[in-house]
Amino acid sequence: MKKTLTVAAALLASVGVAGAAQARDQIRIVGSSTVYPFSTTVAEAFGKAGKFKTPVVESTGTGGGMKLFCAGVGPDFPDITNASRRIEPSEVEGCAKNGVTGITEVVVGYDGIVLVDSIKGPKFALTREQLYKAAAKDVVIGGKLEANPYLKWNDISPALPNEPIVIYGPAPNHGTRDAFVDLVMEPACKAQPEIKALDKDAQKKACASVREDGGWVEVAENYTTIYQKIVSTPSALGVITFSYLDQNADKIQAATVDGQIATYDNIATGKYPVSRPLYFYVKKAHADQIPGVKEYIAEFTSEKAWGPNGYLVGKGLISLPDANRKSEAANAAKLGDLKL
Amino acid sequence: MQIITLAVVLLLLASFGYRMGRGRALAVGGGSGRSLHSLPSYHGYYVALWCGAPALIVLVGWLALEPEIIRQFVMAALPESLRALSPEKMSLVINEVRNVARGDATPSSDAVAVGAQHYQALRQTGFASVAVLCLLMAIGGLGYARSRIRPELRARNDVERVVNVFLIACSTVAIFTTIGIVLSLLFEALRFFHAVSPIDFLFGLKWSPQMAMRSDQVGSSGAFGAVPLFAGTLLISGIAMAVAVPLGLLSAIYMAEYANPRFRAFVKPALEILAGIPTVVYGFFAVITIAPFVRDVGALMGFSVAAESAFSAGLVMGIMIIPFVSSLSDDVITAVPQSLREGAFGLGATKSEAIKQVVLPAALPGIVGGVLLAVSRAIGETMIVVMAAGLSANLTANPFASVTTVTVQIVTLLVGDTEFDSPKTLAAFALGLVLFCVTLGLNIFALSIVNKYREKYD
Repeated sequence: MKKTLTVAAALLASVGVAGAAQARDQIRIVGSSTVYPFSTTVAEAFGKAGKFKTPVVESTGTGGGMKLFCAGVGPDFPDITNASRRIEPSEVEGCAKNGVTGITEVVVGYDGIVLVDSIKGPKFALTREQLYKAAAKDVVIGGKLEANPYLKWNDISPALPNEPIVIYGPAPNHGTRDAFVDLVMEPACKAQPEIKALDKDAQKKACASVREDGGWVEVAENYTTIYQKIVSTPSALGVITFSYLDQNADKIQAATVDGQIATYDNIATGKYPVSRPLYFYVKKAHADQIPGVKEYIAEFTSEKAWGPNGYLVGKGLISLPDANRKSEAANAAKLGDLKL
Repeated sequence: MQIITLAVVLLLLASFGYRMGRGRALAVGGGSGRSLHSLPSYHGYYVALWCGAPALIVLVGWLALEPEIIRQFVMAALPESLRALSPEKMSLVINEVRNVARGDATPSSDAVAVGAQHYQALRQTGFASVAVLCLLMAIGGLGYARSRIRPELRARNDVERVVNVFLIACSTVAIFTTIGIVLSLLFEALRFFHAVSPIDFLFGLKWSPQMAMRSDQVGSSGAFGAVPLFAGTLLISGIAMAVAVPLGLLSAIYMAEYANPRFRAFVKPALEILAGIPTVVYGFFAVITIAPFVRDVGALMGFSVAAESAFSAGLVMGIMIIPFVSSLSDDVITAVPQSLREGAFGLGATKSEAIKQVVLPAALPGIVGGVLLAVSRAIGETMIVVMAAGLSANLTANPFASVTTVTVQIVTLLVGDTEFDSPKTLAAFALGLVLFCVTLGLNIFALSIVNKYREKYD
């Protein structure tokens, strides 16, 4: 009799463990590891104001964040996703298939991608073409595409240091990888006549594939791993964001790209070639139902956060021009629809 | 809060039942309870269990089922327009109703406000009725058990049977957890083997898993050959054992045979401290101190040492494993009977001859068992290699090159991405399964050797 009772208790307890989901009153944000430092700063300022709980921000990489964001509508799915590149049409379709139809896009500022190495290492002055030749899987040698033969930087150009080519770069789940391919590899690659002669698919494959023989090391975690690796290997280069360089300038130094140094002004005016806007995307269906989403957006788009003297600039964000800030803030406040 | 109050009341009732049962048993058993079958305290526990257990079961059941039951009632009471929504939008509405009921949000429509009040009312009536039911069951159980107290009641048997069942439940939790872990590994690894054939995985020579995340993205080629990872793991573990076994074994021999008791009493705990250092601290030590040192020494001697060489990771891992080898060997060597040593001395052997030719062969099975356990520890070590070893797969026997191990790749694959059905993330489970099988096999083998050969010299 007692045994049956105890067994029944165990069964009921196990049912309880699989019980219904708890109500969610905290905003859930996922996405880009580039926007992550800015998003957490806004989240903390927002939580400190006291009215709502501090949002939960996860750094999954832009690609991973889009997948989570587009998985559906409901308290189990994230409300906002950060992105260091624009949402792709294929992702919008994927969202719509799962019922996520109302998306608002907000541009928050600019960020530069920098090539850094340890302060103890050599100073690099690179062109985008040299970077492409160092990182690509196949390069054009004597009119044909062949496997990348360059093992040292001075194989590409005698002016570069006599060091083996090792680049620590973000893996495909990061938006920074897509931005690096779009801004560095594709322009340099497509400038070659042999590539222009190929069809579109072959062009894309030739220009976007990175080498897998150890010259390019994929790092799927956040930028701290890249930073650790380049600090311990003085001749290796890392691909990280300007905000990270800004906050850690005592241990790492940036290479110049096409003769331009990565500074706030050079990126804001577009002189530094490897820069891109940062975004976040909001589900309109959640904006009404989860407490605090609208107020979080208002905090992020306020002058004291993203303006030229705001606290985000102190973290390394590069502000949009004044007119753009006003229009983006207005669009975000009324939750305007995404226009690709 | 109210649930806790109810639980406390039930516990108080149960303890009251204990006192009452014990008192009644003494009264029925004639003063000191001499004619009772069981001690009076067992009668007390009998009453307490009858009072508390059924009521607590009902309470736990209510806790588990309450959210779902109330949700169904609230959904049925919502107006037609809201009920017709898709399931996801419906879950958002229910979420909002819950938040409004808790006072965390303002209702966005009248229907939601009404729904929230309904939710509150349901919760309160539900809890009140369950509380009444529990209390009735407790008091009923109390009365029933008390009425059954008589000298012939086998209270001790019943109470001990309940305790027995409780202990079995605790141990089965541990067993079920282990089975659950193995099954989840197996299940996900099988999904991986649907996408990538086991032959390619176990014997392929190229490891390049960072595939594209979208159809219009270009990533790595998606090669999942794990041989470079196995080679890297074996290389680093080999270097670690080459450091740990001589140092550990020789220090064990010294402490067991030659050291005076004061020295041994000081050095043995000191060696144990090495085992207590967190592995992440070892990783820091390897990255910040050992790796640059090895690189500079290599540069001085003329050959190029990678910044994250297998040698530096293996060296630090070996230092971490020394206490495993030395502790186990020390225990085994001291366990060799003194009669063997005295026999050797009687035959004219010197001390070192006795150790080399009598004591060590006698202790050898235990030492081998200990070394195998240390090897399985080295193969499964994660933190040191994540910090000190490289990230890109490299099939080489050169200890000064940068290699990566199985554990590093599991960390990289699972930390980076978040979708669980691409071959990339499932590969981590396949690697985990291989690691699990290898370490399990090594541990079983080590234990079987120790058990099989242990009797011979006793």
